[in-house]
Amino acid sequence: MAVQIKLMSSDQAMLVVDKEVAERSVLIKNMLDDIGEVDEAIPIPNVNEAVLKKVIEWCEHHKGDSPSTNDEESDSRKRSTDIEEWDQKFMQVDQEMLFEIILAANYLDIKPLLDVGCKTVANMIKGKSPEEIRKTFNIQNDFTAEEEEQIRRENEWAEDR
Amino acid sequence: MRQRPSIFSGRNEGVPGGESSDSSSGPEQTLDEDADMTMNADDSNTSIGDLVSFKRMTVSPPSGARLKPFSPIYTLPPELLIAIFRKLSSPVDWRNTMLVSRQWASLAVELLWQRPYFCEFKNYQAMVMAIESKNAFFDYPQLIRRLNLTFIADKINNGSLIPLQKCTRLERVTLTNCTNLTDSPLKDILAANPRIQALDLSQLEGITDETLLTVAENCPRLQGLNLMGCKGVTDASLIPLSKNRRILRRLKLSECNQITDETVLALATHCPQLLEIDFHKCHQISDSSITFLLSKLKHLRELKLAFCDLLTDATFLHLPASKSFDALRILDLTDCNQITDDAVDKIIKMAPRLRNLILAKCRQITDRAVISITGLGKNLHSLHLGHCSNITDAAVQELVALCPRIRYIDLACCLRLTNQSVQVLAQLPKLRRVGLVKCNNITDYAIKQLVRRAGEGVCPLERVHLSYCMHLTVEGITELVNNCQRLTHLSLTGIPTFHQNAEYTKFCRSPPKEFTDGQRAVFCVFSGSGVKQFRHYLNQQAQMVRLPPRLEDDDDHVMDDGLGGVNGHTQGTNGAHQGGAQGGMGAGMGGHGGQGQQGQDEVDGEDQDTEGADEF
Repeated sequence: MAVQIKLMSSDQAMLVVDKEVAERSVLIKNMLDDIGEVDEAIPIPNVNEAVLKKVIEWCEHHKGDSPSTNDEESDSRKRSTDIEEWDQKFMQVDQEMLFEIILAANYLDIKPLLDVGCKTVANMIKGKSPEEIRKTFNIQNDFTAEEEEQIRRENEWAEDR
Repeated sequence: MRQRPSIFSGRNEGVPGGESSDSSSGPEQTLDEDADMTMNADDSNTSIGDLVSFKRMTVSPPSGARLKPFSPIYTLPPELLIAIFRKLSSPVDWRNTMLVSRQWASLAVELLWQRPYFCEFKNYQAMVMAIESKNAFFDYPQLIRRLNLTFIADKINNGSLIPLQKCTRLERVTLTNCTNLTDSPLKDILAANPRIQALDLSQLEGITDETLLTVAENCPRLQGLNLMGCKGVTDASLIPLSKNRRILRRLKLSECNQITDETVLALATHCPQLLEIDFHKCHQISDSSITFLLSKLKHLRELKLAFCDLLTDATFLHLPASKSFDALRILDLTDCNQITDDAVDKIIKMAPRLRNLILAKCRQITDRAVISITGLGKNLHSLHLGHCSNITDAAVQELVALCPRIRYIDLACCLRLTNQSVQVLAQLPKLRRVGLVKCNNITDYAIKQLVRRAGEGVCPLERVHLSYCMHLTVEGITELVNNCQRLTHLSLTGIPTFHQNAEYTKFCRSPPKEFTDGQRAVFCVFSGSGVKQFRHYLNQQAQMVRLPPRLEDDDDHVMDDGLGGVNGHTQGTNGAHQGGAQGGMGAGMGGHGGQGQQGQDEVDGEDQDTEGADEF
């Protein structure tokens, strides 16, 4: 029987997780290393139940991943926005949840999940015009017309390699 | 003029509905280490977001901001937006991102500008206009960290460099082949950029000591310097440059033929961290200075002394017997033709972890040197013995038995070698490149032995050089191309059966520009998709001879008849061509060209040239 630990979400929900799964979070792992075995629930004050469940789902699915393949982000060639199929499906959520997952992954220090989240958003930007991007994310254009034109002019040299 | 707040100082103000998620462990912010220089490296520790300064940007909320509808994207703090933008890695996407909003502009601008990329000169001109613009939206020149003008090198002159004097945060500057440049304004740019870590000025024949003295005075962080072909550079600048250069790691002085032992001694004395040095064609360098260098630099990883023809065995024999160079991986002694077996023996004893050893044209060495080399055992990956014509089959046999990890071996012009050597090479499980140019004793039989694998075994060969192996025929080559599905390069120059047959040569790549008509006439090199087409054609021919014509689905070549003697494998067409045509694999032909001999050696030279493209 795997060792289990308890996590307490920001909205006071208690979640029981395999220690091994929870330790995909470097934050939790460090905490456990520091305090040793605990019966009490570990508070996760920045993440609510719905998001925490989602994050745990991801950690469970990626339980077997070797840490080395997850840490390959330093390899610049892998900067591409390829996402494996399961992760793509996993990330098919509304924007609010998507950004919450990214924030949680960042807070909990789960690099590979943060990575998938960032890639997912990047894919929503890729190839779009500024106006399309604004529409996608409901962002207000706070440039004046002159400013927008100036930035366009000053950066028009950009070409893809 | 509005004030210039730091980009992140007021970040929450500009983010309606944004919560302050103070993630201490933000996404990785170091720049990727893309090798845009010959010196790829762990050199840079550029970090984004520590300096963006605005000329006209304010991040205070624009009027009416409070009325904005809440949008979930505003929950992301700047560092996570940057992490997302970083994934785009496309300049056009970055530009579009900049045009979304003020906040996004301020976050994406550095990603776009830190490493501007130009394929066309007009884009460079457009960028320069932004740099020069008086009321630019951002302080663009300060954002540029890496500058690479190699792709527009032929259009760059002193005038086009002038606007870059506004840059003061450059870290990597690559000006390879910008041959129109002279000392000014280059030296002024270098003087203004004390953060430079990597500088590539290769082939800038017009620059002099003046430029390098500026570097000596102003660039204390320099870790990599490439001066290949800077023939105007002398000891007068390199000696001062050596001093206070404690962190210099990589230095290429190839073809800087004015430098003398004095520079070598200064480097050895003042640059304890040097890991890679290239003195290719520094003809004035002699034994004593290299001995001194070796005695000082224990951690040396790579030493290239090709064509340093004054060097003798003494360079190595004068080092104390106890000396060891455990870090040395690459040693190039091409054409150091006074080197003998004694030096090789000492080298192997001192540097037992050598991975890549180049002794081409060390014509005096014999089987005894090869036996010493076997001492490298599994460490040896690459060995170049071209033109070491004393070597015999017995040595090759011993080498293969004791150094099973050899991936690349060149035995060009080892005229004594016979089929026996080629046969034993088949025992090397990782052999990817083999050079047998002018090994005129070898026949189809040996080639078949080389490429055949028992059972499911796949022949690992990717690049095979067989030029001037006059006894080879279509039969052997058909077997070769069919068994080596990873093949991306095959040279058959100078073998009349091949270069005289237009049906074959139409799949060849075109000869290098500098080749004479005579050399062009015998040139026969297949690379990339050419290999695939050649294989396909040979198989078609073989089928026509053996079988009644049959419908081939993917075939619209015009069949050519009258090709006698084709009698190869009929492995049919195959779609499983692996390895793909690596673009630019055989590129970079300059440099070694003009050996004074006939066209024959040129091809051999070409074989050597491609060497740099290999992994190691």
